[in-house]
Amino acid sequence: MGYNWLSGTRQRGTRNEEIGLPLKLGPISQQVDRMAASFVADEHRALLREARQLLHAVDAEELRAKVRDRREKYPWLVAIPVHTLSQTFSPPLPPADFSVVGSDGSSIHPDRHSPLRYYVINTSHAVLTYGRHPNADLDSEGQLYFEDDDLYVLSGQKSIPIEGERLGVKMQIAELQAALKAAQSATDPMVALRDGTLILWQLQNEEREVREEFLGQFLRCLDGFRAASVPVIGYISYPGSHDVANALRVSLCRDDPSDCEHCSLSEEQQVLCDFLSRAWDRQLFEELLEEGRRSDVFESTSDILKKYESHHIQFLYLNVGGEVVRIEAPQWVMRDGGMLDLVHALVCDQCQRSPDYPPYPPALQEAHEQAVITTAEGRLVEELVERSLAERGIVYARSAKDRSKRRRAV
Amino acid sequence: MRIGEIIETGTTGFVAESLELNRPPALGSLVKVEVGEGGCVYGVVSHGTTAGLDPGRRAVRRSTAEVYDGAIYDEHPELRHTLRTEFSVLLVGCVEDGAIRQHLPAQPPPLHYSVHQCTEEEVRAFSERLYYLRLLLAAPGEAPSEQLLAAHVRQAYRQRGQDREWLERAARGIAALLKHDYERLMTVLYAIEPE
Repeated sequence: MGYNWLSGTRQRGTRNEEIGLPLKLGPISQQVDRMAASFVADEHRALLREARQLLHAVDAEELRAKVRDRREKYPWLVAIPVHTLSQTFSPPLPPADFSVVGSDGSSIHPDRHSPLRYYVINTSHAVLTYGRHPNADLDSEGQLYFEDDDLYVLSGQKSIPIEGERLGVKMQIAELQAALKAAQSATDPMVALRDGTLILWQLQNEEREVREEFLGQFLRCLDGFRAASVPVIGYISYPGSHDVANALRVSLCRDDPSDCEHCSLSEEQQVLCDFLSRAWDRQLFEELLEEGRRSDVFESTSDILKKYESHHIQFLYLNVGGEVVRIEAPQWVMRDGGMLDLVHALVCDQCQRSPDYPPYPPALQEAHEQAVITTAEGRLVEELVERSLAERGIVYARSAKDRSKRRRAV
Repeated sequence: MRIGEIIETGTTGFVAESLELNRPPALGSLVKVEVGEGGCVYGVVSHGTTAGLDPGRRAVRRSTAEVYDGAIYDEHPELRHTLRTEFSVLLVGCVEDGAIRQHLPAQPPPLHYSVHQCTEEEVRAFSERLYYLRLLLAAPGEAPSEQLLAAHVRQAYRQRGQDREWLERAARGIAALLKHDYERLMTVLYAIEPE
């Protein structure tokens, strides 16, 4: 017996595999319905309205003082408003001539089923020049890492392998380096865009050696951007962050925020606080920000930023049309009125040039297209390794488990 | 003049990427590929397309009330790198032992070799004999073979300096080839339409 997802009936003799659906969708589709219904429920909307009102009502100065005066760390990640919580700004006009640098990367992770340990990072850049001399420079550069220094970070007697999230961070650094290199030949004024956050929060829980090595490289790159006076930003589409919503919770809270058991708020406010703990910042700003407008600047309080020194990351929200995105930048960008205006103008301009809705900056889109490593290309690298080993008389023996996955005999 | 690079090749023809976006060589024009010492294959441009470089990325509308046509390429400079123009060429002859032959070459031209537009002298020399018109007429290309044949005759007539004598010879040759198919013949002759 199988499930026919078109007619919604169970049929004798129809196997899920035959219609390409190993996942039984029957129960899931009912749950999807319930989930969607709760999302648009009146209660949800009313709470969102209340939360948005709170964004207008909270006094930024009082909130700053409250966060500053608390000795212990907040149990949530709290955004600190640099000026206001709810002021918005319209986009300035872009200059007549300018360029936008986008960078991205992808990787082939170390394969634990392979007898050789290596990984590949492919970084790309897209430099788009607009105005009187329109031009585009799109390129990528791949590198194979296989030396011990590339594969491990030494911590005392321990060798910490670069894989998983650590490889992710290494790739983020490589992407930023690619953007910095590309920016050197781009026409001023320009903005450098990176897809994703500039806050390397993953490093917080790493060993000191890993953190220092990776953060050192990342910050040196940011030094490079500052020395060249190029504003660099992280562009986060559909951000899942709660920092501002959490700041609103702080403003509501009258007790110890780590002890919700003994909360003295009214029941209504407790419901609102609970709602805020799950609300996304982008939802709070969706109504406040008209298309093209940005929020005021907030400071992130992520622990790792204590080590960013003069590059402390601040952020804002921006309605690019159909979507509220989060823009992150070092404080030297956000504090410089000219740079901040340029970022605002050029991100809006990029989104207006995007053929998609919601839009996505073409510089990032093209950088992504350049960076992608397809499955076929991944296999090709594997074959190159295999062939090179064979030429030296070594038979490439993959793990039995991996071979069984590839063959799937019955 | 170099106009393209071969990206797909075979016994009867090849596909080349045009060096200039949106400007494939004219339909029916004679092109050549130089292979080895003194060797050369000739072909007639039979089709042209412009589309996304990556087959997974289709082109989408980019125009606005203010920005359209050529201005789109200035406002979206990446397009010149993400689009490509290709053209197909049907092989119609080659140079063997220093002589022009009007039959399929023994070898397809090599991949990645340059495609050159033929000069007026080369067109004149190649089209002096008209046996190759049979290859064009029989070719299963994307464009109707009558239209391709007529386009080639128009091109060659112009490049031969509006050579009336040659045009009449070509028309007689085509009439002889299509003597049993009046409709096809008239389609070709109407499409030639010399000034």
